[in-house]
Parts: sequence; structure tokens; C-alpha cells
Amino acid sequence: MAVDVLIAEDEPSILESLDFILRRAGWSIASVTDGDAVMGMLRRSPPKVLVLDVMLPKRSGFDVLKQIRADDMLRDLPVLILTAKGQAKDRRTAEELGANGFVTKPYANTEVLDEVRRLIGLAGAA
Amino acid sequence: MRAPIGLRISSKRRALGVSQAALARRAGISASYLNLIERNKRQVGGSLLIKLAQALELDIGELSGETEHRLIAEVEEALADPLLGNIGAPSAHDLVAQQPAAALAIARLHRAYLGAQADADDYSDRLRTDPLLAQLLHRVLSGITAVRSSAEILDDVADLDEAERRRFVQAIVRETRGLSEVARGLVGQFEVDAKARRLSPLRELDDLIFENDNYFPVLEEAAAELRLAIEAEGPFSEAGLTALLARRFGITVTRSASREVDAAGFPGQYHYDAGARTMWFQTSAIAATRQFQLTRLFAELVAAPTIERVVETPELTSDVSRRLAYRALGSYLTGAIVFPYERFLSDAEAANYDIEALQQAYGASFEQVAHRLVTLRRPGAVGVPFAFLRSDPAGRLTKHFPLPGLPLPSAGHACPLWAIYGAFRTPERTVRQVAQFPDGSRYLFVARAQSRRPASFADRAIHTSIMLACDILQADRTVYGAGLPLADPSLDMPVGPSCRLCPRRDCAERQEEALGPGGQHVAIRAPLVARSFDAGEGS
Repeated sequence: MAVDVLIAEDEPSILESLDFILRRAGWSIASVTDGDAVMGMLRRSPPKVLVLDVMLPKRSGFDVLKQIRADDMLRDLPVLILTAKGQAKDRRTAEELGANGFVTKPYANTEVLDEVRRLIGLAGAA
Repeated sequence: MRAPIGLRISSKRRALGVSQAALARRAGISASYLNLIERNKRQVGGSLLIKLAQALELDIGELSGETEHRLIAEVEEALADPLLGNIGAPSAHDLVAQQPAAALAIARLHRAYLGAQADADDYSDRLRTDPLLAQLLHRVLSGITAVRSSAEILDDVADLDEAERRRFVQAIVRETRGLSEVARGLVGQFEVDAKARRLSPLRELDDLIFENDNYFPVLEEAAAELRLAIEAEGPFSEAGLTALLARRFGITVTRSASREVDAAGFPGQYHYDAGARTMWFQTSAIAATRQFQLTRLFAELVAAPTIERVVETPELTSDVSRRLAYRALGSYLTGAIVFPYERFLSDAEAANYDIEALQQAYGASFEQVAHRLVTLRRPGAVGVPFAFLRSDPAGRLTKHFPLPGLPLPSAGHACPLWAIYGAFRTPERTVRQVAQFPDGSRYLFVARAQSRRPASFADRAIHTSIMLACDILQADRTVYGAGLPLADPSLDMPVGPSCRLCPRRDCAERQEEALGPGGQHVAIRAPLVARSFDAGEGS
């Protein structure tokens, strides 16, 4: 089954609630819990949107994003960055690396839903 | 929101299988009046509430819903935290009623968060440069994210099945525990002995006082014995205490204008040097202070094991908490010696709680008398229930004893309209105020600003303001209610707990943006020319 949204998040409770709200919105979901696992999963089963936490074990979300944008197969994948780092510097880094959306923790569930909906629209238009 | 006491009375009465007529008879009122009370058509307080509690064989706290009141206030404060933004959460009252476990988890989480935040603020410079601390802070934000997201699911999703509901409640509980550990880790970073300090010692002390209803029978009994022991050797006075300390312990009392510090390096008006067996007072220390502190010294020398027994409770989890509690309970014991319970209650009732009159009768300070008044909570011999607050001139609350139902901020500043702040404009004069909160609850505030006098030209006077607050239903038992339009709420001062917790949109005193109990956005003064970010939370 094709995956709509891949979530890369290492905090189990956050992953649990993200999985719940996105699945409830009607999308099929897959998840990984460290930075190294993201690329393998993207190649095996490319999603429409990647929800990517920045502070991941093994490899940071920013590193993963950089790798995605350098990959011919994946460079156009819409990526939503989730981070507890809300400073302007981090937002700028995400933009420079090519993130399509940026949500700061703690967020409201609707913020994530709205962003994922917007990015799935982008994926559909591409 | 005030808990419906009438409903509580009615449900407890029914649970006990007591008829309305029988309960009314036991409480000494008519059945029709009880009927009005149970339907919340009449307010009930003071001696009638005590009688009803006794007739229903209930603790008065259980009947008045103190525990629930406090939880509601804490959840309200948590939901109004600007960090959460406008999440459209249900009211704290509804949350406590419908999801008490989740409400308790949120309150505990918020406490843990506030404690961690306070420590983080204190050491913000170090936070910016220490990667380990930055990581801990990241975990705090992650924990809050998980709790917020789970709470929103519980709130928003109407058709959650039982297993899902339990899963997200457990997530909140799990994250709350995790946050406590993180907070302890944060604290540990700054301690020489990380095991010596845990989270929120002040809150632990608050809890201890609240759970004991600010009344400690063991200390009252010890105080009665100590007072007898003092009076057996002479009159209770500064001179008598000085002589007693010299005779029993070889202690000398000295006075000088110099500026000295205690064993912990804290400058003050007095300290005790155990090695030299000397009690020192600065010349500016007033007689009331000298008498009180000499009493404290005697009490600590004789009754330390008694105070320690009270302090040795699992509710106090660190040495810092126990040290704070030891100090606070030492003050309690001293107050109980200076103002013996029965006599003081009787004098207070006779004087209609006139603090100035009681000061004269006991040679005590305003703060000492006010402090003792809030401890008159002995079952069967209860005085007017008061809350106590002390503020510094910057408006920061430096001491507080809560009163169920009165929304006191747990830290920081209260509403700028409260009499405790107005009193600074008229130092050494007691001022009073009938304050009405946004939920319609009304309180009598009695406040006085005073100065600790300087010892010399170079010394600084230290200013504080003390305030007592009681429910308006009790105001006519006090001298401070006389002549005030207690029955006419239209003349009350409209106040809130603090700007952050206050939903009054029309208040010109507002200094800080706030969220009301329902997450409603309340704007502060707008720019003259509207900007795009002036549309509210989330913009």
C-alpha cells in the first residue's frame, strides 16, 4: 500500500499522537525513529509528504533534508520540518536547505494537519 | 468558578439517607431555607457551613470543595499559560469534573514545567552555552508537545473508544513523569550536590501547608507546653525570655547598629551565633521582632525534635524543601507560643479581628498577628478563614497562604488593582477593599504597607505590604467590614487573579496579554495603525 505520509520522529508519545491525527484525517502512514532509517524508507516506499523532526538520533533532520535535496529521485519531495528549536536561525536553516513547511513544538494538532494537507496538495500538483 | 456548595450538601445528604427536614433540624435552620441552599439560591458560609458539615459528619474542606477548587485554579493557570496559545481547551471546571485524572496530570505537569522554567531562567546564560542543558530543555518542549497534542485529541475527538482514551491519558501521565525527571536533571546541573535538591521546594511546602489546612496540632500542643514552661520562670516578655535563655542555655543577647550576617551569610536584623552563644539584634529591630525571635530561639533549642517530626514527611522530597519547611514551621510554632490558640481566638473574635488592636494586646507586629490569624483552623474552634499575602515593592508576591476559591497566583505578580499594591501609596495605614472576581466571587481585602526601619543613615529601609483576604460572607465578622456596602456588588472593585489569568477585556490596568479560561484571546493595547500580526494568537 502506498504511503501518504512518512513521519520521522523519535519521541514515542509525539509519534503516537501524530500517527493518530494523520491516520484519522484519512492518510496512510509509515514512521521511522532515527535519521539513518529515513533515506532507506524513502527509497523503498516513497511517500507524498515527509514530516521530519530535527533532533533525531544518529542523523539530524537537517542532515537528512540536505541529503534528500541532493538526491535526484527525492529532491522534489515535500518536507515539513518539526522542531522544538523555534529561533529564526533554525527557520532560516530549514528554508535554505529547502524545507517546504516549518512547525515549532509545542504545536496545535491543527497546525500540523493544515501543513500536511497543504503539502499533499503540492505533491498532487507536481 | 465557585463550586456549587448547595449541590454538594444535597448529594452528601442523599448519600447518607438523611431527609432535608432532619438535616435542617440538626443545623438549626428551617427545611425551606435548607432547600434554598441546596438549590444554590442562598449563599452559605461561616458558622452555618460548619454546622452543616458537622451534621453531615464531613470535613468542612470536603463540603466546600477545597481540593477541587485548588485543582481548578491550577488547571486554569496551566491552560492560560501563553506557551499553549489558543488551543480552545475546555474550561478548567469542566475538565476537572469530566477528566479528573487528566486534569491532575496537567496540573502536575504545569507545576513541573514552572519549576524547570524558573531554574532555567535563573541560569539562562549557562543554558545558552551548555549543550547538555540545551538538550534537557529540548526534552521539556518535546514533553509539552506530547501532552498538548494528547490533550487536544482527548478534547477534540468525540468518538474515541475506551482503549484510545486510556492510551492518550497514559501518554499524558507518562510525559508528566518524564518532565519531572527532566526538571530534576535541569536542577541537578546547577547543584554542587545534585541529590540535595529537587523540583519546586516552595511548592512542596505550599502543599504541606495546604494539606494540613495550615493547622498543625502537634506544634500547637508543643507551643502550649513551651508557653507554660516560659511563664513558669517569669512573665512572657522580652526581658523574661532574655533571662530564661541566659539561665537555661548561657545565651547572651546583644544589640548594635552594625550590619552583620547570619551563618549562611544572609544580612538581617538578627542572628544567633551558636558557637559564641550570642543572639544579636540590630538596633533597628523593633520590640515585637526581638520578642518573637527570642521565642523562636527558645522553641528551636527545646522543641527541634517536634518540628523535625512534622518535617519528616514524604511530601517533602529534598533537603531544601525540609529546610524551608523547618523554617516555616519554626515560625508557626513561635507564633503559637506568642499567641496561645484559645486566648488569641477569643481575643480576635472579641476585637472583630482588628489587627491593630491585637498588635497592642500582644506587643506584636502587623505581620505576626496577620500570620497567626490564618492558622486559626482548629476543627471545632475555627476563626475567620483568611488568605495571607506579602508583596515586595516590585509587586512580587514573596509569601502566600491560600484560601480555597480565592484565585491566588502561585508566583510572580497578582492583579495590580489589589489592595496589597494600593497600600504602598499610604504606608503604615491599613486599607480595605471589596474585590469582585470575574466569576462573581467577592472577597474583603485588608492590606497595610510597612517599612523595616533603617539602623542608620547608610542603612536601607525595607518595604513590604501585607494583605489578608476573606470571603465576603465572613466580612461582617471583622471590624474591616463595618460601613462597607457588603450587600451591594455594584460598588466592588472589579479585579482578576493576575493579567495573564484575567478575562476582563475592559481593564485599563492590563499590562500583559491573557487567555481566558476557555482559551479566549484578550488583546492588550493595539498599535495606532493596525498591523498583520495584530489579529491574535497564531497570526
